[in-house]
Amino acid sequence: MRKRPLGVALAFAMVLRFSPAASAQSKQPSKPAAPSSADQAHDLSGIWFDDRPRPVTVNARYWTYKFNAEEPPMTAWGLAQYNATKSSFGTRAYPLAETNDPVYHTCAPPGFPRVFLHPYPIEIVQTPGEVIMLFEYDSLRHQIFTDGRAHDTTLGPLWMGDSIGHWEGDTLVADTVNFNDKTWLDRIGHPHSESLHIVERIRRVDHDHLVDDITIDDPKAYTKPWSTHIEFGLRPKWTLAEQFCEDEESFQTIDKDSAMPAK
Amino acid sequence: MRRDPLGITLAFAMALSISPATSAQTKQPAVPPKSSRPDQAHDLSGVWFDDHPRLIRVQERYWAYTFTPEAPPLTPWAQAKFNAAKSSFGPHAVPLVETTDPLYHTCAPIGFPIAYLYPLPMQIVQTPGEVILLFEWDSLRHQIFTDGRKHDETLGPLWMGDSIGHWEGDTLVADTVNFNDKTWLDRMGHPHSDALHVIERIRRVDHDHLVDDITIEDPKAYTKLWTAHLPFVLKPKWTLAEQFCEDEESFQTIDKDAAAPAK
Repeated sequence: MRKRPLGVALAFAMVLRFSPAASAQSKQPSKPAAPSSADQAHDLSGIWFDDRPRPVTVNARYWTYKFNAEEPPMTAWGLAQYNATKSSFGTRAYPLAETNDPVYHTCAPPGFPRVFLHPYPIEIVQTPGEVIMLFEYDSLRHQIFTDGRAHDTTLGPLWMGDSIGHWEGDTLVADTVNFNDKTWLDRIGHPHSESLHIVERIRRVDHDHLVDDITIDDPKAYTKPWSTHIEFGLRPKWTLAEQFCEDEESFQTIDKDSAMPAK
Repeated sequence: MRRDPLGITLAFAMALSISPATSAQTKQPAVPPKSSRPDQAHDLSGVWFDDHPRLIRVQERYWAYTFTPEAPPLTPWAQAKFNAAKSSFGPHAVPLVETTDPLYHTCAPIGFPIAYLYPLPMQIVQTPGEVILLFEWDSLRHQIFTDGRKHDETLGPLWMGDSIGHWEGDTLVADTVNFNDKTWLDRMGHPHSDALHVIERIRRVDHDHLVDDITIEDPKAYTKLWTAHLPFVLKPKWTLAEQFCEDEESFQTIDKDAAAPAK
């Protein structure tokens, strides 16, 4: 497979073009604004993009490769797994040629929740029984069923997991289980097992801002549940582009572009 | 990469268990009934599945691997490409290990319109400016922008193409261009070039039935325009499962299951 540099370059041209505005809006509000109208309470729809600031070097932005600045509370098993990973990100980054990132060499799906860390927009669409996150990256879907069903325990281990949700006030609470253990939890190589259990609290804090408070529970990999907070800004003029993983050359282009300083 | 046999098996168990009802409904109406309610006219949403009859032998079901029972009008360039293609389907089928199908060995993105030929459901969701077809297979998206925009000539060659649409009465007319030439047009190995132009006329003929009349134009590959007719039936109790291409074993399972006689 050959890389498709134009598509990747275009996507980043778009990201970079909009990044000054994104940076200006990215201060994390200590008290989120109330929803501006009642009918927005259950409307998460739109194109959303990570709304955090863009420091100069990619390694200063932990949120492009892991969920929190501090280390998650790994079990002995989790730490051993982590020590064996060779990520191309973070303080112990390996060159791309040496990484054992499963996504880079086989174009395996990055899976969930790792896909949140790839620097591409998401689109949320809603139907009467579903809230669906469409990720530009790798054309992935995070389908959250809100029709009252329970988890389907007959589903095999899944890359994206099996997600059900319900509304608590203006917050969509999504519960995801039934994962396989083939993916890294993040891009730096923190692990997870098939016991991974993700709870998201997704809320549109105002018309233009969405937050996803994610709790990660995986007793095999982590000594206790831990949480992270992702902020998104609405991008009303954006649409999702096509970004398929084709080979590791795609990633070299991506990483080079995303390492460029924000303008 | 290893396959996910449970997921695939489940999807086919689901497909096969519903198939008696499907078969009973599959007679193509000579005069399709009119939409039963006006508010359905622009509502294509739901989970849809191929509504061709399920013949016993897979090779009699041309719609499992090509668009029309007759051969499309190939140019000499395309005839040479077709002759060189080794498909595991159709009258010239080769064993899977000998196929040159680009998907089977690399898990390349399926592309469009070939995505319609895989025996897995698709879901249509709509937003104010888009009609989005979500394919279960490979998590693909066919995003049709209905907000009046033009084709974006700056988009690089794409696997799924660049689609815009408008409504003519109760019919969504979708126009797709900007393709790459890395995919086969169908599973039998008919080719297309990057000049491929696909026009779809998608109509919900009644609450439970959808048709997609597809016109294929590609002056490099075909001597004239030709059309195919794809019928779909609503599956109100189905939801999309997770089906990622992981290796050719996935295809062996899919093809074996799809070849099983309808029960």
